[in-house]
Amino acid sequence: MSYPPLLQNPGGDGPQIWDPYTLPVNDNVNPYCFSVDLNGAYYLQKGKMVAYYGDMRFSGIGRGVLDRVLEQNFNSPLHASDWVVAEGRGKLLLADRAYDLNSYDLEDGNLTVRSGNLLAFEPSLRLKQSIIPGFLTLLGTGKFVAASNGPVHFVEPPVRVDPEALVGWADCPAPCHHYDHSYLHGVIGGIRHLTGIGGASGEEHQFEFIGAGQVLMQSSETVMAEKSVGVVGEQSAVPHQQPTQAAPGLGNLRDLGRQFGL
Amino acid sequence: MVAYTGQMGFKKLTGGGDGLRGMVTRRLTGERMEVMEVKGQGTCYFADKATEINLVRLNGETLFVESDNLLCTEATLRTGTSFTGLNGMASGNGLFTTKVEGQGWAAVTSNGPAVILRVAQGLPLRVDPGAYIAHTGNLNRALKSGAGWTTLIGEGGGEAMQVEFTGEGLVYVQPSERLTFGGDA
Repeated sequence: MSYPPLLQNPGGDGPQIWDPYTLPVNDNVNPYCFSVDLNGAYYLQKGKMVAYYGDMRFSGIGRGVLDRVLEQNFNSPLHASDWVVAEGRGKLLLADRAYDLNSYDLEDGNLTVRSGNLLAFEPSLRLKQSIIPGFLTLLGTGKFVAASNGPVHFVEPPVRVDPEALVGWADCPAPCHHYDHSYLHGVIGGIRHLTGIGGASGEEHQFEFIGAGQVLMQSSETVMAEKSVGVVGEQSAVPHQQPTQAAPGLGNLRDLGRQFGL
Repeated sequence: MVAYTGQMGFKKLTGGGDGLRGMVTRRLTGERMEVMEVKGQGTCYFADKATEINLVRLNGETLFVESDNLLCTEATLRTGTSFTGLNGMASGNGLFTTKVEGQGWAAVTSNGPAVILRVAQGLPLRVDPGAYIAHTGNLNRALKSGAGWTTLIGEGGGEAMQVEFTGEGLVYVQPSERLTFGGDA
């Protein structure tokens, strides 16, 4: 079998050409593209597949036969309709808007990540919704892939992070808000805060982490579009987000529209 | 062009640079390209929105590339328009694609460095239409639908349209997806 002699630099090797045998196994192809050696099932965010070799099926979550499997992994409220299951065998390439991708191995651990940053995870992990709105928690043993704008940095607490630069954290017992009180104090501070007159630095509010653990930061303040993870049922003492995403043209049906994929 | 050193002359080539026939074809097919010709001596720098640039060396093969992704070619290469069939339309990439043939270098842009995937006998490849940028070699493309009745009620797999490549050649895929009708149905 002969291949066209393409892309060979006269004096060099030329760029790497991949096929199913040379593609990395559950590792990055380049900083922006991740190759999954699929044999069974894998959960991924909708629309993040760029290419695949082999025999695969992509199905939406929350229907039919799959529901039984899901009960074991998906403890996030109904319908994570932004998630799909890839089933089959082959090599699957994932990417997300040319953002940096990283895979993380959890060993009987926990990691909380911004919902928009989580791209894919092994079915051996359990996905739950964090008490902190907009974040998802992964528990158990396995590998997952997360995207970030710019490479991820691991920082040990105690640390205060800009909210927009926070990707997630592992094992930290107490993530909390931190305001520079003195700066926002009193009448002058209030005016500063509301109007920006007199020099609001834009950095008066941070997330603070203490205790033992790891904090994941991205090197940019571009926040990934938040993925709806389903709305927590209203119940006293349960913090919940206002359902914000009203499907266009659906008035106040709000989350219902998303469940139907509109 | 972003900069040059030396002596350069720039000339606009009307309608994509394939003469009158090419111009008419491009008008008709909507595969429009603004093309200019650079002549002279020195170094000329090309760039486009800080996207990644992939160099493709052609030795008589044909490169099929989305016109948005073609940055520049050597004058020894010919560009033309090729009919991709209904596959292109359904994937939002248009009915036509740009064809580059001859001997020389072409520069292809991509959002993030392109991943080059080999297709051979028994190794078909399926690609998200939004991530496809170019291919070379003797490949057939066919639109595959992963959509079933569940897509209609919004519980689909999110990958309703895929382009399947069979034959022998190389496919260039970018680690990002254009907003297309098919890629994010």
